[in-house]
Amino acid sequence: MPAAMAKSLAASKKKADRVEQEEPEEPSENGFVREYGDQEEESERSDAVGSSEDERSSGEGEKDGKDDGKIHQSSEESDSSEDEVAPRNTIGEVPLEWYKDEEHIGYDITGKKIRKHARKDKIDSFLAGVDDSKNWRKIYDEYNDEEVELTREEIRIIRRLLKGRTPHAEVDPYAPYVDWFDWEDKGHPLSNAPEPKRRFIPSKWEQKKVVQYVRAIRKGLIKFDKPKEEPPFYLLWGDDSSVAENKRHGLSYIPAPKPKLAGHEESYNPSIEYIPTQEEINSYQLMFEEDRPKFIPRRYESLRSVPAYENALKEGFDRCLDLYLCPRTRKKRINIDPESLRPKLPSKKDLKPYPLTCYLEYRGHSGPVNSISIEVSGQWIASGSTDGMVRIWEVETGRCLRVWDIGEAVQHIAWNPLPELPILAVSAGHEVHLLNTGLGDAEEKMHIKELLHVEEVLTDDAGNSASAVSWVQHEKHDGITLKHLKTVSTVEWHRKGDYFTTVMPSGDSRAVLIHQLSKKHTANPIKKLRAPAVSAVFHPTRPFFFISTKKNVRVYDLSKNKLIKKLEPGLREVSSIAIHPGGDNVIVGSKEGKMCWFDMDLSSQPYKRLPAHPKDITNVAFHRSYPLFASCSDDCTAYVFHGMVYSDLNQNPLIVPLEILHGHTSSNGRGVLDCKFHPRQPWLFTAGADSVIKLYCH
Amino acid sequence: MDANGGSMETSRQVRVRFATKLPPPLRVPTTSLAVPSNLSRMGLSEIVNHLLKNMDSGYQFQPFDFLVDGELVRMPLEQFLLAKGISAEKVLEIEYINAVAPRKQEDPCLHDDWVSAVDGSNPSFILTGCYDGLARIWKGGSVCTHILEGHSGAVTAASVINRKGEESENSFYVATGSKDRSLRLWKFDAGEHVDHPLRIRAYKIFQEHTSSVQSISSAPSGDMVCSGSWDCSIKLWEVKESEAEGDSVSIKKRKLLSDAAEQESQLEGTATSTLVGHAQCVSSVVWPELQTIYSASWDHSIRQWDVQTGNETWNMVCGKALNCLDVGGESSALVVAGGSDPVLRIWDPRKPGTLAPIFQFSSHSSWITASKWHTRSWFHLLSASYDGKVMLWDLRTAWPLATIDSHKDKVLCADWWKDDSVISGGADSKLFICSGIQI
Repeated sequence: MPAAMAKSLAASKKKADRVEQEEPEEPSENGFVREYGDQEEESERSDAVGSSEDERSSGEGEKDGKDDGKIHQSSEESDSSEDEVAPRNTIGEVPLEWYKDEEHIGYDITGKKIRKHARKDKIDSFLAGVDDSKNWRKIYDEYNDEEVELTREEIRIIRRLLKGRTPHAEVDPYAPYVDWFDWEDKGHPLSNAPEPKRRFIPSKWEQKKVVQYVRAIRKGLIKFDKPKEEPPFYLLWGDDSSVAENKRHGLSYIPAPKPKLAGHEESYNPSIEYIPTQEEINSYQLMFEEDRPKFIPRRYESLRSVPAYENALKEGFDRCLDLYLCPRTRKKRINIDPESLRPKLPSKKDLKPYPLTCYLEYRGHSGPVNSISIEVSGQWIASGSTDGMVRIWEVETGRCLRVWDIGEAVQHIAWNPLPELPILAVSAGHEVHLLNTGLGDAEEKMHIKELLHVEEVLTDDAGNSASAVSWVQHEKHDGITLKHLKTVSTVEWHRKGDYFTTVMPSGDSRAVLIHQLSKKHTANPIKKLRAPAVSAVFHPTRPFFFISTKKNVRVYDLSKNKLIKKLEPGLREVSSIAIHPGGDNVIVGSKEGKMCWFDMDLSSQPYKRLPAHPKDITNVAFHRSYPLFASCSDDCTAYVFHGMVYSDLNQNPLIVPLEILHGHTSSNGRGVLDCKFHPRQPWLFTAGADSVIKLYCH
Repeated sequence: MDANGGSMETSRQVRVRFATKLPPPLRVPTTSLAVPSNLSRMGLSEIVNHLLKNMDSGYQFQPFDFLVDGELVRMPLEQFLLAKGISAEKVLEIEYINAVAPRKQEDPCLHDDWVSAVDGSNPSFILTGCYDGLARIWKGGSVCTHILEGHSGAVTAASVINRKGEESENSFYVATGSKDRSLRLWKFDAGEHVDHPLRIRAYKIFQEHTSSVQSISSAPSGDMVCSGSWDCSIKLWEVKESEAEGDSVSIKKRKLLSDAAEQESQLEGTATSTLVGHAQCVSSVVWPELQTIYSASWDHSIRQWDVQTGNETWNMVCGKALNCLDVGGESSALVVAGGSDPVLRIWDPRKPGTLAPIFQFSSHSSWITASKWHTRSWFHLLSASYDGKVMLWDLRTAWPLATIDSHKDKVLCADWWKDDSVISGGADSKLFICSGIQI
């Protein structure tokens, strides 16, 4: 019924509106109609209305052509029940919407379509309203497709219902109560049966249950909570941020910090001593924002002259910001004494001796000293400088013993490690010179002279590598010159003093060459290097060969001629490398000032990174016998470390920073260019860009 | 001690009595005097001088040094007594001695190169070794009479050999060691008067060291020389002039090796024994007694050797590389050594069970290169350092008695001469003589 009916009702409502305008004395009818359309629950009632209408129609008997006498009668018999009213339409309880656009509504018993009545258009209904004064009583029943005219009786009922009264005026809702039961003269209550026995004996099942509980209690299966004792007193001003109190808030409850309680000065009328003078207020302006007092006490005559709090809006906004922006995670602050995190290092006193103070200086060079090298016995030190000079000094006195003019800036210098072969290897520009220092005795001198002699034809002896290097007798000085293709950066001797290696950083596949002095032969064992080589060193005891490129350090086994290890320092640019005399530990210095200690047995990753210098590390060095190592840098300092390597393989090396050696002055942004340990004493030599060599003694 | 000074706060007084072991003209009356307690050494010296002046009007003022309980007074008397805990109520016995300080600076002897070795053990001349490979004899400390020529490297050690009662008065023997790995023995006659320095050649060459010779010391008897070298060994050599066998062989060998054919006058000697034990350069050797040699080395040890057996009899490690060593002092038994740090240390080897130095003097600021005991005094010694200073020390005080800083560069060597002079040579190629030291 509802939707389609509602439409028709809406139409009639319009009509009713008009009626209302015309007849204001009957608004209830309009109200009824409206309610009728609105409330679907009222359908039953509408049925009732319909049924009453049936009564009426049967009484009038003119409009309902297809009125059924039986139905009429049955409805007459019991008007209280709607169940007995058979639906007159044939489509059943389906929404009328389904038939909205159809011509028919339902089927008759022969299966023919029952056609809808033609709807009156607006003009017709208007005319009908004008003609018939009783037209407002008429309602179109869409469900049954008919127009119904309400009787006066029905309207009256509707009006009563609207007013909340009983539909029929004759019903008295407050009729006096008539007690039908006759209480008088009765000696007993309703039932006269005697009380059963079971009401007087204890329940067997209950007893069984009790026994069960008693046993359970005795066995301790049931435990009783102690009755909670409410503390008779509580702290009125107590801290409600205590943990126990706030368990209920959940784990992450963080009590808000307690505000400071207001003091006398925050009163509206504080004593005069709380009021700051004008000078004091002015002096607050000079203070830092944080130190400034948040509240300046003021006096008011009375409470009513206290103005509104000016920051209220701002603080409210800030509070909102706090709530909205405050992090929702709990920050964990670890409360640890930072001292306890420091590794326990032995004291410096126990690690003596180590180089400490500079007592000797070797002066004479006129340019930055690029490289130094100390003779094995520790009596002589050789230095090469950018002024093209190679000098030999007496370590003990600082006396310059010999000078060679190479004519080109000396890059690197190295003494032959054999004491009986006092030969200096000097790299300068494209050439490597082997200089006879003339320090040995007569026999050794002759041997060296033989060794350092090459015939002019020796250039073709090395086969294909001859193009890389040619061995020539030095024109001016007593020695050999090895002419390389590219600039040679470093030259290092093998421990046996016969082989030496040179590195040409821009030499590509021929970057690293190994030369044999006795045979005047040059080999190029390592051809593939992915990054430019920086330096190359021999292992102190085994036939291993370390090449440090700018990115990593590659370790080759020269006997098998293959790569065995690659050390990854993870530094920006490797600048120097030094091998521990034991051979298992390597330190690598980098241009970013960091130093890495590698334990070769441990891994190819650094065992320790030592962040040290603020500027480029120029060189690193190990002591031959003392557990010392050092790094020197362009920041004009050299750092000395204690680096103990234990023979026990389970024990990691102990590294302790010992001393920062100052003394050199910067020149053209360069500081200390080279550092070397004395082979036998715990002394450190440093060569500076200020053209001075310094000796730091213990 | 407030007994005297209770009334006058500014001038407390101490009763003193001066005593001395000096000869009579310098003795003051032994009566006790009350002197202000804030007097220092200068004030005391002035008092003694005035007392002496009273006794003898022709007396020349001279500085004195004062000893209280065997300690030199180096601060105001009151402070000194407080520091030593000496009661001032008794009469204080003060001994005065001649102040030890150089009074005269003689003209430096100029060399061509660094002066690396000096020996003043003979009062008539000074022997110096120089980096130009020459050793020089300076007669009377001013005139170069002889130039000892022959070393091909810098002379690093020089020693006068005092051969007792052998030859004439004016014939002297000298040994030098050089960086050319050789020792040379020289003989010269100091008696002859010369205008030009005489160039003389060595009569004997010892060439067994395989590295530079660092130090030489001659035996007290004068017939042996020992040398320490960079080859870690100490070798002992015979000084005797002519030996028939062995030498000729070595001459032949020498001829084979190099063509020094004209040196037939020079004999080659071989070491009589070698003392092996040091691990590094033997920087200093001393031969104080006939049977014992002391040596100091860069391996941080001082060793005592028995000459007869060639065995090490005493060994002490000090922790620093040592450059110089001397034995002397109290009963010629104290060892003084300096090395690669500015501290001069003195040990007593007779003290058992301890290696701690009994004295440490640390007024220098760089390596110590020379340390020498005074030959006659038990208390006085000198030290020379790379900081350019020569310092005189007395064991009875921790401060240097005097500092001689006439050198412009490192001082490489220093020695006593004639008991009253200090001679020192350095990297400024000069030999300085400071005389007038009264000990």
